[in-house]
Amino acid sequence: MGAATEGRTIAALSSPPGPGDRAVIRLSGPEAFGIVRTALVSETAARWPAGRGLLRGFFGDGHGEQPVMVLVMPGPRSFTREDVVELHLPGAPPLAQRALSRVLELGAVPAGPGEFTRRAFQSGRIDLTRAEAVLEMVSAGSEAERRAAAELQSGGLATRVDAARELLEELAALCEASLDFDESDTGHVPAAELLERFTQAGARVAEALSWEERRAPARGLPRVVLCGAPNAGKSSLLNALAGAAHALVTPAAGTTRDGVEVELALAGSRCVLLDAPGLDPRASGVDRSAQERARELREAAHLFLWVVDAARPDVEVAADEVLDLPASVPILLVWTKGDRDDARPGPPRELVGHARASVGVSALTGAGLDELRRAVSRLLSEDAGERGSAARELAARHARALRDAALELERARVALGEEAPLDLVAEALRSATRELDRIRGETTPEDVLDRVFARFCIGK
Amino acid sequence: MRSDPPVHLHPHPAPAQLGERQADVVVVGAGHAGVEAALAAARLSAHVVLVTPRLDRIGEMSCNPAIGGLGKGQLAREVDALGGVMGEATDATGIQFRMLNTRKGYAVRAPRAQVDRHLYREEVTQRVQNAAGVELVGAAADDLLVEEGRVVGVRLDDGRELRAPAVVLTTGTFLQAIMHTGEEQAAGGRIGEGAFGGISRSLDRLGLAIGRLKTGTPPRLARDSVDWDALEEQRGDAVPQPFAFASEEPGATFPTLEQIACHVTRTDERAHAIIRDNVHRAPMYAGRIQGVGPRYCPSVEDKVMRFPEREGHQIYLEPEGLETDVVYVNGLSTSLPGEVQEAFVRTVPGLARARFLRHGYAVEYDFVQPRELDPTLAVQKVAGLFLAGQINGTSGYEEAAAQGLMAGANAALWSSGRAPFVLGRHEAYTGVLVDDLVVSQPTEPYRMFSSRAEYRLLLRQDNADSRLTPRAAEVGLADDRALARLRVREELKDRALQVLRTVRAPSGRTLLELLRRPEESLAGFERSFEEVAALELPPGVRTGVEAEVKYAGYVERQVRDVERLRRQETTEIPTELDLGGLVGLSREAREKLVELRPRTLGAASRIAGINPPDVALLAVHVERARRRG
Repeated sequence: MGAATEGRTIAALSSPPGPGDRAVIRLSGPEAFGIVRTALVSETAARWPAGRGLLRGFFGDGHGEQPVMVLVMPGPRSFTREDVVELHLPGAPPLAQRALSRVLELGAVPAGPGEFTRRAFQSGRIDLTRAEAVLEMVSAGSEAERRAAAELQSGGLATRVDAARELLEELAALCEASLDFDESDTGHVPAAELLERFTQAGARVAEALSWEERRAPARGLPRVVLCGAPNAGKSSLLNALAGAAHALVTPAAGTTRDGVEVELALAGSRCVLLDAPGLDPRASGVDRSAQERARELREAAHLFLWVVDAARPDVEVAADEVLDLPASVPILLVWTKGDRDDARPGPPRELVGHARASVGVSALTGAGLDELRRAVSRLLSEDAGERGSAARELAARHARALRDAALELERARVALGEEAPLDLVAEALRSATRELDRIRGETTPEDVLDRVFARFCIGK
Repeated sequence: MRSDPPVHLHPHPAPAQLGERQADVVVVGAGHAGVEAALAAARLSAHVVLVTPRLDRIGEMSCNPAIGGLGKGQLAREVDALGGVMGEATDATGIQFRMLNTRKGYAVRAPRAQVDRHLYREEVTQRVQNAAGVELVGAAADDLLVEEGRVVGVRLDDGRELRAPAVVLTTGTFLQAIMHTGEEQAAGGRIGEGAFGGISRSLDRLGLAIGRLKTGTPPRLARDSVDWDALEEQRGDAVPQPFAFASEEPGATFPTLEQIACHVTRTDERAHAIIRDNVHRAPMYAGRIQGVGPRYCPSVEDKVMRFPEREGHQIYLEPEGLETDVVYVNGLSTSLPGEVQEAFVRTVPGLARARFLRHGYAVEYDFVQPRELDPTLAVQKVAGLFLAGQINGTSGYEEAAAQGLMAGANAALWSSGRAPFVLGRHEAYTGVLVDDLVVSQPTEPYRMFSSRAEYRLLLRQDNADSRLTPRAAEVGLADDRALARLRVREELKDRALQVLRTVRAPSGRTLLELLRRPEESLAGFERSFEEVAALELPPGVRTGVEAEVKYAGYVERQVRDVERLRRQETTEIPTELDLGGLVGLSREAREKLVELRPRTLGAASRIAGINPPDVALLAVHVERARRRG
C-alpha cells in the first residue's frame, strides 16, 4: 500500500463528502507548495507566507476562480512532517471536485486510504495510539465517539500507558539487578518493597484500563435512540419492534431507572434500541440525574428515531426538541399512531426538513414497521459503512492488552508472595511490559499496520 | 527447542585463491578467544596456524583466576556444549566451585569456579599442542596482508609471511596498549609484556572504525602476609558441579584438585578517605586515560567516588592456585599510584601487613567498533577477516571464548566454502552476545548479563547441551561422543519424568504435580521415594528435570513468544536497500541505520534511538523490496 505514491505529493478531499459549509482539500509532499501556488491567481500567490501561515484569496480551478483560504504548513512542523497545504473552499461538491482535479492535473496524486496518517505515523510524528485515534475519529458515528477519539488523539491513553510502563521499568531494574549482580553489590531488595511496587504498578495499569473503558463506547453496536414527547408512543414502538419474535436477538431487555434498551436485528442490521426518558422543556421538577442520563444517551446515539404523534403533533415543541439533538447524527422521523382516526396523513413539512427520512407506522396494527426496520438499517449502513467497528476493535485491542498486562502483574505478585524464584517474577514483569508495548505500537507487524491504515477514510 | 537460525549468506567475495597457502585459517593471539577459535577451526578440519608472541602464555588468565559467574557461567556452559575447551579446562583445574543464584531461579543460576591460574594455562596449552591440525608459531603478527579486498595472510614481526584465506584476530588488550599505575605509564597489554601497533595500523589502513577502551586489574598480595584468621571464610559448594557436560558422565573424575576456601573482607571509611584524597592521581580522573572504563567492573576509586553513601565495599581474597603464593584481591581494581594502593589496602581488616607482589593497574587499548562485523564475526569490509574477544569491545574470558569459537568456526566454514554457523537470540547467550555486538557502539566493555537474553527461561545452564550440541554436531563442532552423552542424559531425563508422572505421594497427587510447588525438590523426593532414589540422577540432570517441571508453563509461553517474534527477528533487511534514502524516518533513526546497518528487523528494533514507528516503517520498506523481488 502506498508504494506508488511514496515520495510524491498526495492530495485528497478531506472534508466529508456531500454538501457542507466548506470543502477542504489537503495536500502533503515535496511539491505541495509549488502545485498550490501555480493554481492560485497570481495576486494571491504573490502573498504566499514565508513560513507557517494563512492566506486568503482566489483559486483558479481551470473553469473559474473560487474564493479560498489557504493554510500553509511547512515540514517538518506539520502533521506528516512534509510540506502540507489545506485549501478551504466553498461547500459546493462540484467546485471542490474541480479544485481537486486541478491539483491532480498539476502533479499531485490521489491519496490512498489513511495515507496522510500513515505518513505521519511513519515519520514518527504520532505513536500508534494516536494514529488509531484518527481512525476512530474518521469512523465515529456519534458525538460521544467523536469525543472519545479526540481523547485518544490527545494522547490520554499513551500517557497512562507510559506512566504504568515507567513503574514496570523501575521494578524490572530492581529485579534484574538482583538477578545479575551479587547481593553485596546491589543490596538486597526486600520482597515487601517489591510487593508494594507491584501493587502500585497494578494500580496504574488498572487506571489506564478504566480510562480506556470509560473513553470507548461501552457497547459495540450502533445505538438507535428513541426521542420525542413523553406520550408520543415511544414505548409502544419499542415494544412493537422488540416484541416481534423474529426481531428479538437477545432477551437482554431490561428496565432501568434510566430507560430501556434492547438489542435487535432490524432488517439485518444489528443495533441497540434505547428508549431515553423524554426531555419535556415545559415539565417541572424533572429529576436532574435522569435529565443528565437522557443527555448522555443522546450524545452516544448513532441514529435518532424521532417519534411524533400523528394525532397530536405539537409541531412547535417537536421542532424545539430536534434542535437539541447533535447536528451530525441522522434523524429518522417516525409518524406514529397512524391507525387512529384522528391521525394526520403525514408529517408537516417543517418537521420533515429536520429529518433524513420519515416513516409512518402503527404500533398497534404493525403497519409500516417493516418499512421502519428497513429505513433504520439503510440509514445505519449508509451513514457510516463500517462505522464504529474500527473504534470498537481498537478499544477492544487496548483493553485486551491492558487486561493481559494486569494479569501478568497479578501473576508476578502472587509468585512473589509464594516465594517463587525471582526469575519467574521477572518473566511475568517482562510479559506485562510487552503487553503495554503492544499498545504503543512496539511490536506491530506490517500486516496489522496495513489493516489499521487501510480503514482510514481518504484525506484524514 | 530447535529452530533454524536466520540464514545469512556471506556478502563477501569468495576466499582468495592462493598459489601457496600455509594454512586455511591463521589465528592471531592465544588467549581465551584465540584458543577456542583455533580449536574450533581445527575441529572443522581446517589447517590452523596459531600465532602468538608468547608460547608460554597460551590460555593465560590476565585478570581474575576464575571462570563463570552471573551471565558468564551460562556462556561457559554453551562453549562446552559447542565443543569448546573452556569447560573441561576449568573442571580440570578448578579449586573452588559454586553455583550462584540458586535461590533466584533456574534461569539465572550460573556456575562459577576459582581455578589454579598456572594449571589452567598448562591444561589449555597442552590441549592446543595436542590438537590435530593446529600449528603453533611463536611470533607477533605485525601486518595484515590484503589483496583486492581479501585477506591473504599476515606478516610476522620476523618478516615471515603466512599466507591463508582467513585470519582471525584475537589480540585482546594488546593493540596500542598503555598500562597506568598512578602517574607511571608503560607500553603493554599485560604486566611484563609489550604492546603491538602493527595490527592497529593495518586495521586503520583498511578503514575500520577504531575506538579506545579501558580495563583494570587489582593488586596481587603475598599469601603469608594476610591475616587469614581475622577474615570470614567463603567455601565452595558441598557438592561441586562441573562446567563440562563430560565431567558429569559416570566414571568421570571431578573435581580433580583439592578444593580451597576464599575469604571476604570489606573496605571502610579509612580506605575511602585515602582514595578520595588521592583520586586526582588516578589516571581516569587525571584525564590521562582516554578510553572509557567499565561500569560493571569498576575500579575502587570509581566505586568510592560514585557511591559516597556506601560505608564499605566487599573484597574477596582469592588464591591464584594451590601452590602459588599469589592472592588476587577481587573488588579492588585500581590505577592509583603504588604507594597509595599500599596505604589504603593496609587499612582493610586482615590486610594490615599486606605485602604487594604486584600493584593494580589500568590498561587502555584499541578495539574495532563491532558494527564493522557481520553475524559470523567477519569484518564486512574485508573478506576473510574475523575478529573475536576484547578487540570487539567485550570484557571477560567467557565472552571472548564464545566469540572465538564462533569466529574460528565461521572462518573455517568460509574458507572451505561451507554455509555459516549463526546462533539466534532464542537459542543461546552466544547468539545474544553476537547479535548485541554487531549493532552496538560500546562506550565500555560489553559484559554478558542474563537480563540481555529475552528468552532466558529457555537459555539455562542446565540445558546448554540439549540446545546446542545437536546444532554443533550438524556443522561438525561436536563429536559423536558428545552426541551420545547428550542422548544418555535425555533418556535419563525422560525416565525421571516418567517416574514423576506415575509415582504418587500419600496425598494421591503425582510427584510431578508436587514438584511444581516452589518448596519441593527432587533431592527431597530421593529421600522419601525409592523409585526416585533408584534413578541415581547426577546433580546436573536433576537440576534440568526440576527446571523443566517447575518452569513448564513459562517455558511454553516463551516458545510461543519466540515463534511470534521470529518473523520480525529473522526478517532480513536486504543489503541493497538504501537505508539513508528511506522517506519518513526520523533523522536519528536514519543515521543509526546507515551507521550500524542491522541485518534483521529484530536487530534494528534493538538499536537505541530507533523507535517503534521507525521499525514499522522499515518493515514496510523491507516487505515492499521483497515483493518487488
